[in-house]
Amino acid sequence: MKKKLFKSQLREKNVLLALVVTVIIFTILNTSYFTVANMVDIAKQATINGIIAIGMTFAIITGGIDLSVGCTFAITIVVVGKLSTAGLPPFVTLLLGLATGLLLGYINGILITKLNLQPFIATLATMSVYRGIAYVITGGWPVLGIPNSFREMLCAKLFLDIPVYVFIFIVIAFLTNILLKRTRYGNYLTAVGDNEEASKLAGLNINKIKLAAYCICGMCAALAGMVMLANLGTGEPAAGQGYELDAIAAAAIGGTRMAGGRGTILGTVIGALFLAALKIGLIIIGVSTFWQYIVTGVIIAIAAYLEIFQEQITLKKSIESK
Amino acid sequence: MENAIQFNTISKLFPGVKALDNVSFSVRKGEVHALLGENGAGKSTLLNILHGIFPPTSGSIDLFNTPVSFSSPKQAILAGISKVHQEINSAKDLTVGQNVTLGYEKVSYGIFVDYKTVNTEVNQILKKLNCDFRSEDLTSSLSAGQLQMIEIAKALFHHSKVISFDEPTAALTDSDTQTLFSIIRELKSKGYTIIYVSHRLEEIFQICDRATILRDGQYIKTLNVKDTDRSELVTLMAGRSIIENTHKKAGRPQNAERILEVTEFSGRKFKNSNFFLNRGEILGFFGLVGAGRTELMRALVGADEKTSGSVFMYGKKVSIKNTEDALKLGIGLLPEERKTQGFMPLMNNLDNVAVSSLSKYEKNGFIVPNLKYNNYTDKSAELNIKPADPYFMTRNLSGGNQQKVVLGRWLSTDVNILIFDEPTKGIDVSTKVEIYKLMDKTIRQGKSIIMISSELKEVLSVSDRIVVMYEGNIIKILDNDGTLKEEQILSYALGEKDNEEKTI
Repeated sequence: MKKKLFKSQLREKNVLLALVVTVIIFTILNTSYFTVANMVDIAKQATINGIIAIGMTFAIITGGIDLSVGCTFAITIVVVGKLSTAGLPPFVTLLLGLATGLLLGYINGILITKLNLQPFIATLATMSVYRGIAYVITGGWPVLGIPNSFREMLCAKLFLDIPVYVFIFIVIAFLTNILLKRTRYGNYLTAVGDNEEASKLAGLNINKIKLAAYCICGMCAALAGMVMLANLGTGEPAAGQGYELDAIAAAAIGGTRMAGGRGTILGTVIGALFLAALKIGLIIIGVSTFWQYIVTGVIIAIAAYLEIFQEQITLKKSIESK
Repeated sequence: MENAIQFNTISKLFPGVKALDNVSFSVRKGEVHALLGENGAGKSTLLNILHGIFPPTSGSIDLFNTPVSFSSPKQAILAGISKVHQEINSAKDLTVGQNVTLGYEKVSYGIFVDYKTVNTEVNQILKKLNCDFRSEDLTSSLSAGQLQMIEIAKALFHHSKVISFDEPTAALTDSDTQTLFSIIRELKSKGYTIIYVSHRLEEIFQICDRATILRDGQYIKTLNVKDTDRSELVTLMAGRSIIENTHKKAGRPQNAERILEVTEFSGRKFKNSNFFLNRGEILGFFGLVGAGRTELMRALVGADEKTSGSVFMYGKKVSIKNTEDALKLGIGLLPEERKTQGFMPLMNNLDNVAVSSLSKYEKNGFIVPNLKYNNYTDKSAELNIKPADPYFMTRNLSGGNQQKVVLGRWLSTDVNILIFDEPTKGIDVSTKVEIYKLMDKTIRQGKSIIMISSELKEVLSVSDRIVVMYEGNIIKILDNDGTLKEEQILSYALGEKDNEEKTI
């Protein structure tokens, strides 16, 4: 049992190590990096991408992808923005927001399972449709004047000035981790992404399993949208552009196999923290935004390469043990 | 007689394993030379060295008395050594001609493929091989037997002098096999040297001149096929005497309770099928490849759609819309293509065995790892999975053990009807016997088996009743009472109908 635990967590350990090294390097470059306030900032920065990336991990594990998360995010922002300015109680709007994400994810899932569209194409299409809907809902204008009650629900500061939403992020990560590792559904999800045909012949309802993954993905994007809305106090229909790429990057750095069948929530969460730590570090040491893009891209490529490298090592080891 | 190939003290070390140990023997020019051995004996390793896929650790190869060493398969092909693969690797969307010449196309002006020349050349080769398809045809329209011909055409296109066949008949029906044999005989008469690897010993006696036996990476013996017999070969391969056919139907529960009945079942590639299955019997499904047996069974378990027909279980009509329904009703399928459809390549034995029965290991909605683990240790002991290590990756197991993992998965569920599609395809002799014994044991536990097989001997020795299919139709259902003859079953499989049925 022990051997297996170690093996499966190797990837997370590596990403964690990379995160620690990044923090150390930036601290050496600028000592103001390693302060409680800055660490809290990193966690805050990581929350939105992290929550979206958790959902994305589910989609990717099935062997698919969800490009529409940034637009699901935007629709939720304007829908929840409208509802809360209309005076609905915060908790009700939160539930309606999650329902919105569920519905949008469900539509993606139906396109992919019932109509058999490639996940890439299906969500590329809904990406455009959802973005359009977000604009149509508000006529292109932002939703202003989000009531404080809604903002407080998600942004109230708990101890150490850490806002509620960071704890929500932690709770979501904890719950989805259990879902993936300890439940039947999590096992099925991995099996489907690993070998869809074999899973089908093993008696799994692959459509139901994949559909659920896209629903979870949509709900995560919606939750992240509401965090953004509460944070800014205005609902921009243009929000969330390019967020799908950040989410994919966090999952990839965290060791999620892009072809499906393997991935962990812990890895994705550390991946999101790593990206946030990198971004804030680059800002603190004064690297321009243009260069931030370049550095981030290079690091994603390195992470992907390490993934291949690691796979070769495990392959070699498996031959040796044979 | 001149030697085409001389292996000189070939050894190959893999990390932790000596795959070949000082193997020396020669293959004569113009003979059909069988390479025999159980799985893991080193046959594939030796062929891979011959074809330049990897170099030997020590030792050398002489080709027509000249030392050669290949660092890539391409070099081996250019030197005149080609391989007809066990698993047929053709690009489905290309034409036959494109597949045959892939990587070596005639090119004009430096970039444009000269399809006219390609097709003319390939059609000449296909004519030589008596093929009924043309270079211009799309590969996706061909049968398994025809795909095999493409592989042979490739070898001729490269002007190979030595051609190796690795389990060429694994995917072929008996009639395709006979066509293949006549082509091999013709190649031989034209002076080609053939190396032939197969688990089916009867084939060795049909077409091979000499046979070399390997066991555990070591050279055992080369003998003239006409001076030996089946039991000697088996003994040499196994290194011990094994009982070849241990399957006995005696003592099995024989109550004719119908647990499954299929009526007027139609779908893609099969129509109006009617048959039933009794408790505690093995129902064999024989037919040529493409007869619709696999398609029928896939539709039965809900993996593919049916167009019409009904299924009754224990006398009640049931609806099977997907494989989940089939699992709940107690029907499981063990697919023919184990490597691509049987198991999850990223999963270990433990998870592959558990995946269909996870609800059994749950407490309060969470999986209890220990329950899952205990189930695996039970099943691996019962089925003798080797290595038994629960964390061993299933993809690294031998074919027979992979089959056991898939069987273990179904035995972990409450499934009462198991459908085996070609259960012993590509599995060595002694593991075959083990699989038959496991099937027998399963029957004795009160379960029932439907077995699709293209091996007549297997169908005859294992089944209680035999369903024969031809071009999507069930032609005949026979009682295997010990009086059935191979020719009889084969003639039904070739579409011959009884006189009485002709008049209807």
